[in-house]
Amino acid sequence: MGWFEAQANLPGKLRAQPGRSHNHPVRFWIITMMLVLVGLSTLELHWETKGEG
Amino acid sequence: MLLELSQWLAKDIRAFNVFGYITLRAVLACLTALVISFLVGPAMIRRLTAYKIGQAVRDDGPQSHFIKAGTPTMGGALILVSITVTTLLWADLGNRFVWIVLWVTLAFGAIGWVDDWRKVVRRNPKGISAKAKFFWQSVVGVSAAFYIAFSTNLPAQTEFIVPFVKQVAYPLGAIGFIVMTYFVIVGTSNAVNLTDGLDGLAIMPTVMIGGALGIFAYVAGHAVFSKYLGFPYIPGAGELTVICGAIAGAGLAFLWFNAYPAEVFMGDVGALALGAALGTIAVIVRQEIVLFIMGGVFVVETLSVMLQVASFKLTRRRIFRMAPLHHHYELKGWKENQVVVRFWIITMMLVLVGLSTLKLR
Repeated sequence: MGWFEAQANLPGKLRAQPGRSHNHPVRFWIITMMLVLVGLSTLELHWETKGEG
Repeated sequence: MLLELSQWLAKDIRAFNVFGYITLRAVLACLTALVISFLVGPAMIRRLTAYKIGQAVRDDGPQSHFIKAGTPTMGGALILVSITVTTLLWADLGNRFVWIVLWVTLAFGAIGWVDDWRKVVRRNPKGISAKAKFFWQSVVGVSAAFYIAFSTNLPAQTEFIVPFVKQVAYPLGAIGFIVMTYFVIVGTSNAVNLTDGLDGLAIMPTVMIGGALGIFAYVAGHAVFSKYLGFPYIPGAGELTVICGAIAGAGLAFLWFNAYPAEVFMGDVGALALGAALGTIAVIVRQEIVLFIMGGVFVVETLSVMLQVASFKLTRRRIFRMAPLHHHYELKGWKENQVVVRFWIITMMLVLVGLSTLKLR
């Protein structure tokens, strides 16, 4: 159980089900969406460097 | 809060002017809400589990759902905390639209909280009576409608905009605007609540629609873009983009815990609040019909319940195997995940149709 994990606290019968541990694809989608957001923020967020121009 | 701080710092360090841009603050609001929810989420789920705030599963529902009994609920509180803190951090606190959306969101959240609390903690399966719930929803909805109606400066802010048709807008008048606003806010709130029946089903469409409404808010609040695209210019509406960013971020982070198999459910505290927030934002940016299109899944889920009840009362026959509609498909043999992801795909398509009204007129 880490920062982003709370599964250990689920009721026993929920944890015990072998078919009920499939949320990883969705979590990878969420991570991708976050990275896309960071990418989009570069539209507005760029600092000038000294060597520019 | 951070906007004021950055403006003060910008007097000495010019780079801080970048935080004046709504688009950047919307992206940062989204990321902030994500981080807050990720950090607070596990602790909150542990706390909800410790207090045995577990969801009761309807005994007439699909058998596959019985396993979910006891999963912590009221996780919507996490979304509300995240949205509120993020909005207070990144939005312009002098903007009246920001406060009205926050008020409606938190007030509907409070109604949902009381309902959940009575159901889950007090073990009263009925929660708040339907009449009392509707009464308090109406009080909040009407108060918001009055405030928006009588704080507008331009007639365009209370006109009914028809998408896909250029320059067709019907003046509603104060009473018409209040009635419509009330129905949009209360209707959307209850529609999201009805949809919230499968892991991740309600939250992802909320994220997508929130994101799309953020674009509409940005356009409506931008004098040049609104004129170019033929939208009514609503000064100050652009700031709602920041709240939309917060809704999207908090929703995505909640999905992390709510994805199948859910570690937590949002409960009425989340569903009622998020629905009301979407309805209020749509009303302010004058995009009620577009909300109706983009929220097609919410609309169809609500209609399925209404039709099922009406049909059973009139003919003693059921139209669907079970209502709301997602249970119908489950009983037809679709897996829970299939129903959820397919409804997400439909929402993505509908959001695209909604976004196309920006240009397609």
